[in-house]
Amino acid sequence: MNLEFNEDQIDALREFMNVSIGAATASLASLLGAFGTMHIPKIEICNSHELAGKIESTIDLNSMYYVTKQLFTGKFGGECIFLVSEASATNLGRHLYITQNPSADEINDAVIELTNILTSTIVSRLTQELGTQVQFFVPYLHFTDAHSIVYEGDISEYSKIIIISTILDFQDQQINGNIYILTKDEAIESLQVLIDEKLEEIYG
Amino acid sequence: MKVLVVDDSKIARMSVIKSLKEIVPDAEALQATNGLEALEIFQKERPRVVFLDLTMPVMDGYEALKRIMEIDKAAQVIVVSADIQSEAKLRVLVAGAKNMYPKPINHEIMKLIFEKDLLV
Amino acid sequence: MIKIKYPDVLLDSLENGHMIIDDAFNVSYWNRWLCINTQVPKEEIIGKSLEEFFPEINYTVLQRKIKTALTIGTPTFYDANSSRRFIPIERNKVTTSSLKLMQQQVTISPYIVHENKVMISIYDISELFEAKLLIKKEMEKAHKLNEKLEADKEIIDKNIMVMKTSAHGVIKDISSFFCDFFEVTKRELLGKNVSIFKLSDMSDIIYRDLWETIKNKKLWNGELQYRTSKGQEKWFQARVVPILNIHGEIVEFSAVFHDITKEKLLAELYITDPLTKLYNRAHFDETINFIAKHQRKAEVDFILAIVDIDFFKRINDTYGHQVGDDALVCVSKNIKKSLRENDLVARWGGEEFVIMLKNVTLDEAQKIMEKVRSNIEQNIVCHNIKVTASFGLTKYRENEEPKETFKRVDDALYEAKEGGRNRIVVK
Repeated sequence: MNLEFNEDQIDALREFMNVSIGAATASLASLLGAFGTMHIPKIEICNSHELAGKIESTIDLNSMYYVTKQLFTGKFGGECIFLVSEASATNLGRHLYITQNPSADEINDAVIELTNILTSTIVSRLTQELGTQVQFFVPYLHFTDAHSIVYEGDISEYSKIIIISTILDFQDQQINGNIYILTKDEAIESLQVLIDEKLEEIYG
Repeated sequence: MKVLVVDDSKIARMSVIKSLKEIVPDAEALQATNGLEALEIFQKERPRVVFLDLTMPVMDGYEALKRIMEIDKAAQVIVVSADIQSEAKLRVLVAGAKNMYPKPINHEIMKLIFEKDLLV
Repeated sequence: MIKIKYPDVLLDSLENGHMIIDDAFNVSYWNRWLCINTQVPKEEIIGKSLEEFFPEINYTVLQRKIKTALTIGTPTFYDANSSRRFIPIERNKVTTSSLKLMQQQVTISPYIVHENKVMISIYDISELFEAKLLIKKEMEKAHKLNEKLEADKEIIDKNIMVMKTSAHGVIKDISSFFCDFFEVTKRELLGKNVSIFKLSDMSDIIYRDLWETIKNKKLWNGELQYRTSKGQEKWFQARVVPILNIHGEIVEFSAVFHDITKEKLLAELYITDPLTKLYNRAHFDETINFIAKHQRKAEVDFILAIVDIDFFKRINDTYGHQVGDDALVCVSKNIKKSLRENDLVARWGGEEFVIMLKNVTLDEAQKIMEKVRSNIEQNIVCHNIKVTASFGLTKYRENEEPKETFKRVDDALYEAKEGGRNRIVVK
């Protein structure tokens, strides 16, 4: 199984992801009644044991995080991780529940809602671009420090991982978060096939 | 007819060029991968139409649009972006773009652009 | 694709709640599970607003979630861990339960988008949630225990000399205290063989005994001697334990060391005569009694000798106690240097010494003592002062009480004194 991506494949994946995040940002913008700044997505292919390190290198290690994980299955299946810092999550809770001091339940629910919209929109749009379908599962949430976001044991069955990551950025509301879409082995392979079909369509 | 296609993604540029050639078979497509490159080519080649992405490294589409309009008030810029927030569209129209379309551009949209938005 | 003829039957048979409502919360479907669990029959609620029946729901949030589901076309969810229930439903579980109300997982799926209708599904996840709570509690317990273990481990590391080696003696781990004591770093020792500690000081016999014992999967307990790089002599009480796997094979050895150098010095002090540095009477008594009690062949073959300095009282009276002490030290040295390593000499009393000469005949013993006698006679104690000594000798008889041996040797000494001193009498 060749899990290496060539330049054209990476370029295409980044562009599809860009379109997907655009859709997600618009959904969130309408939810929050705000304007989000878009950032260029980053695509990395790494071994599963490197994941924790890659995530830790992109976040503030002193903050606590709300970590939401949502699974999706189908020809292109995987896991979406959304990280939002305690401060951002509290701002989100304030914004969505229209209260100065949101309760823990309210913050949790706000984070779940945000993740839900993000994951659904990103992955739906991505799979639409790729011409396939997926099913979503209930997102689950936990609150943790920066070093406990990913456990080695949790990812033992992933050998190669694609990390598609980007930043969610609503400056005026001080809400931002990191999004990671993880997909593994066979899913990477079918992703390659889907991308190649797309490339063939455009490059002829 | 010279047309400048600006996008950091190759597949995105190709997708625009593909639709473009379907509508304007004799179009000469110039390419730039970021705002700064786009400005240089625009200055030198003075293309009739510019297809411009927003989210790009080095110089983003908002800045490039502003500079192009400074060079030529009559420049015809069509923004093609993944950013589909209504506020994004408002910003680029205010800055002087002819119109803005969500990615990806297909045959029908390209046809619409040449019929309604552009003077060629 | 088959057409489902009786969707009601299907939805009613499900063990979760399903309702269809629009964005104004008007209920258009209410399945059997909901009727039973909420005690609200469908005849009553259908066509009416959910708000009338369940005013406690946060409708702002619900409306937003409905809107999201309709807009993005995929399901939206409530936080399944929330302590706030969507619709509070009492649980009727009688046996142990930490949950009074049903824990719910609520999914809002788009149903008929152009009519703004969604399906709300409620799943009872109480059992799962209880299990989760239980696991969390256990994890906390384990975490606390772990912290305690870590703390204990640190105490051990800082205060006890511990070493772990592989089955072949390669050092795998050592405590900080061990490193501090030997003034080495962990890095210097890890991966090395324990034999680097086996200096010439450590007798081969002990070393071989240690390995024989632990290789036979038994615990070894004993004392080890070690000379530091600065030349200090150290003694350790060591306990070496072989660690076996489930097949009974040795996987590693763990050793705990305890510095007993001070105890060793104290013990030596306890059996040593402070002036002459010979053994004291207590130690000699103990040794001879031990031999008499056990009657071991190798030990019972010895000659008992007693040495008494002649006219010692006169030296003390004439020259003072300092010279008397010098005489005692001088005689001690003369005795010691004329004997073999394993012969036992002790100061018996004032100016009296006892000697145990091992594995020699009376004749041989007499010759050795003769050498001692002439050495004493010829050596100057100090200031041109010379002393002589009288000797009594006897052979220990098997199964004899030590006091009988002493009686004989005392008699012999008495005869030597009576016979004019500076001589040896054998009995």
